[in-house]
Amino acid sequence: MRSFSSYSALLSLALGLGTVGCKAGGASGGASPGSVALTDPTGDDNGPGNYLYPTDQVYKPGSFDLTAFEVVPKGDTVEFRLTVKSRIEDPWDSKAWGGNGFSVQMAFIHIDTDHAPGSGATTGLPGTNVRFAPEEAWDKVVIISPQGPTRVNSEVDAKANELKAKVVVPRITRAAGRTLIAIVDAAQLGGLPQPGWGYQVLMQSNEGFPDKTDLLTRKVNEFEGQHRFGGGTDYDNDPHAIDILMPPGKGGADEVKSQHEALSKYNKEATSPAPEDLALVPMIYPGQ
Amino acid sequence: MYRASTPPALVLGTLLLLADAPALADSANFELSGKLYTKWMYKNDDSRGCLSLSNPFWPDNIGGSNGVCSEFELNIKGRVSKYVTTGVRIQSRWGALWQSWWENGDVRWDYPNDSLFHENTSGESMGLNHAQYMKLRGVFIRAALPLPSVRWVHFGASDFGMWNEWTIGKLRYIDRDNGNGVLFEGAIDDNYLRYHFGAIALPKLFVGPRWNTGLRDSDPLAGFWGQDWAYAVKLESTPMEDLDVKLITTYIHDWEADRNDPDNTGISDRNRGADRAIDWEPRFRALNATLDAKYAPSALNMLSVSGLLALAHNNVNREYATNGVAFDQGFSPVIFPLDEDGNPRAANSMAGKLLVEFFDPLEVGLSFKLEYFNIGSEFNSIFGSRREADVLLTDGILSTGFVDGGQLPTLNLANEFVDFDEPWFESIIGWHGATGRVDYENGPLSTNLEYTLITYNTNAQDRDVDNQYPDFLYTDGFTDIQSYTADFDYANIFDRGRDPRSVYAQYKERLTHIVVLKGDYLLPVGDNFVVQTKLKYVNDGDNRRLGNPNDNYRGHMYLGWLNLKYQFTDELQTRLGYELQYWDENLRSGSQETGFYDYDTTKHTGRFGLTYNFGGLTFNYMLEYFHKDQDRDRPGTYDQSWRVWRSKASVEAAW
Repeated sequence: MRSFSSYSALLSLALGLGTVGCKAGGASGGASPGSVALTDPTGDDNGPGNYLYPTDQVYKPGSFDLTAFEVVPKGDTVEFRLTVKSRIEDPWDSKAWGGNGFSVQMAFIHIDTDHAPGSGATTGLPGTNVRFAPEEAWDKVVIISPQGPTRVNSEVDAKANELKAKVVVPRITRAAGRTLIAIVDAAQLGGLPQPGWGYQVLMQSNEGFPDKTDLLTRKVNEFEGQHRFGGGTDYDNDPHAIDILMPPGKGGADEVKSQHEALSKYNKEATSPAPEDLALVPMIYPGQ
Repeated sequence: MYRASTPPALVLGTLLLLADAPALADSANFELSGKLYTKWMYKNDDSRGCLSLSNPFWPDNIGGSNGVCSEFELNIKGRVSKYVTTGVRIQSRWGALWQSWWENGDVRWDYPNDSLFHENTSGESMGLNHAQYMKLRGVFIRAALPLPSVRWVHFGASDFGMWNEWTIGKLRYIDRDNGNGVLFEGAIDDNYLRYHFGAIALPKLFVGPRWNTGLRDSDPLAGFWGQDWAYAVKLESTPMEDLDVKLITTYIHDWEADRNDPDNTGISDRNRGADRAIDWEPRFRALNATLDAKYAPSALNMLSVSGLLALAHNNVNREYATNGVAFDQGFSPVIFPLDEDGNPRAANSMAGKLLVEFFDPLEVGLSFKLEYFNIGSEFNSIFGSRREADVLLTDGILSTGFVDGGQLPTLNLANEFVDFDEPWFESIIGWHGATGRVDYENGPLSTNLEYTLITYNTNAQDRDVDNQYPDFLYTDGFTDIQSYTADFDYANIFDRGRDPRSVYAQYKERLTHIVVLKGDYLLPVGDNFVVQTKLKYVNDGDNRRLGNPNDNYRGHMYLGWLNLKYQFTDELQTRLGYELQYWDENLRSGSQETGFYDYDTTKHTGRFGLTYNFGGLTFNYMLEYFHKDQDRDRPGTYDQSWRVWRSKASVEAAW
């Protein structure tokens, strides 16, 4: 019996289409050397285990439940694909404000291109309230936002200027079905993805009117509100990440547990948190 | 509470001082945010104002296309305790031009009836809305009370986003915190039974016959709206991981004072039956309910199935509500149906839709969507979404390349208080058909192809549009959505062309085909150069009176749109686009008595726009030239042209 991928190849040939979304388990398979396909378990869109969605109806169940992450090199560009459990919608009519065809989701793809201690950034972008280990510091971060590129760039200028050289705003950001797609120039990443690169994805929510310390991110409070996540604290010590990748990136139940453990380890008493008070999130190095 | 004459700056200053006052140990719990917004509008006409299309039915003197207006909002949120939060928005009234230097909001000085002073800049000229007064809005208290199963109790302002488009719709943005209610939210079990309950104060405008809830429209003795409410309940369940089910039921009750109550009609003589109490009578009652479900199997990630069943019941008491169909030239948000014996009856109708989606099942970038919809001929969601929502997959009939659109199940649409670049919404009452769509995504290319077939449950012969069924003033109100010449052309008095066919018509036998191809492509030149295109064809036919071959409407509407987006710098993006529309309409306009005549319309639209963001400031600019020629064959009419330049710019900053 033919597999779906066989039909896919036949159809691609028939239609003259380029094949997209070819699965590569880690960095192996017949795909480009730097391609990546990771899986994240469903039902873990609750941060450290107790986060709740905002109460407004636009935050549909599963909207922030990351289920798959792919890196697909294509010529001089790289396509990043994030899949969530729920169909991605555009309830705030992003076209009206120069947006990208979706409204609610936002994601940060952190990339460690050298896996070298002392190289890269260990702090999260403003509003994420996470940190990275020095040996897993990130060198680039791709921002997937429904906001138009000029707005994202403006926010980066204002709130993360010292990290601007590491921030990549995609040439194209869009949604298709359950998948967020971002296309960036490989040059923006310092070259095509290579085996050994590390990745971490933080699922967040787009906030068009963010706090002055937040880079378009939606806050997590102690109690959920119409447009606030709940289950955290009212200070900026709790991780503002609803779902993240966890090693080994195969979608197992153990990853739910490890995510909850990782995101729970922050100093709940620190009302003005120092970096070490924040939760430490790991990188995933596919194939290693 | 402060009086309107209190200088806003003083109020603001006081609030800021309070917020910063060191004596307030809990100032950290006082969250302030503000926003300033200024809009410029210019057009080659002599209208004055900063809103393209204002209220079309009575003069509110804020609509117009030449002027500069500013507004300010101050949002205050308080965290009273870990269980209680509060919020309020103080918003300046929209409408004053920058030229309105000395407006103080006082009544205009026109004594002794000297029209010279009706509109001037003396400070006593244009009314309170031109004084930019600060209005209290968005007042709420939200509490996590220790009640069994209750998670939240919300008192006050809400945008009602917890219900849905078919029942109580999320309020449009400009109305976002005008609505108030008492809302309960909780769960018996987080998976199996979550709930919302609410009692919502009906707006005295728009939710009811004649767009009101009893403003003495039929009897000065009856006007009473202090006890008009909507009640709503939502039950949600996730009985299994991949299935979400939701039931929403809403009930609207509009009371009036009993016009025959002895206490209302004469002296309080006990012998007349007076008892110092006044009975109430219902003026309008409506029940809307939906049951919807979504199934997205984890084991088959490519599949999503969602469906909705809806019920609508509208019951007008003709003793207390003026018949808008009969008295407002067919312009009414409700129908006034009669039974076979000529007695008033309630309108009852069902609606349903089913959407099946396959997300890239072949892993080549192709996704497939199929939607079936069937909306009853008398379905009406009077308190449902009026705009800024879209319940069907189709691109619809009205939308163009530059102007987006949406479909909603109500006669109560709100296509007013908008600018020329904002989306338009059309009623889907009676629509019965299906949409098939294929999406293709591959790297820099994103495209989709749609085909929609619409038949109409509202097809009928000799329907009573004089007394029972609204046919929207002159039968074709929402026609060309770009060429409104002024407020008062909302109802198409000057015949802008293109016949969208009204929801109800005396004779209707209509069938519509829609084909749409859209695409976005990132060009391999420059840093960020995107081309967008849309091709659309609408074949709209209405045989009107069966047996009369000379009244068969055939509309062929063609649209081509091309838009280029280029990002020059991190902060600056520009857009340049062109749209061509051609409408070939046979037997568009006329009557059974005079015959019907052909129309040809050609439209060219060009737009340039830019967006600039820097340091928290956002600047938007749009310049449009709109060139339209309309040829009319109908005797007694003349051909028309539009040569319109118009622009809109805005600058805003939020902090």
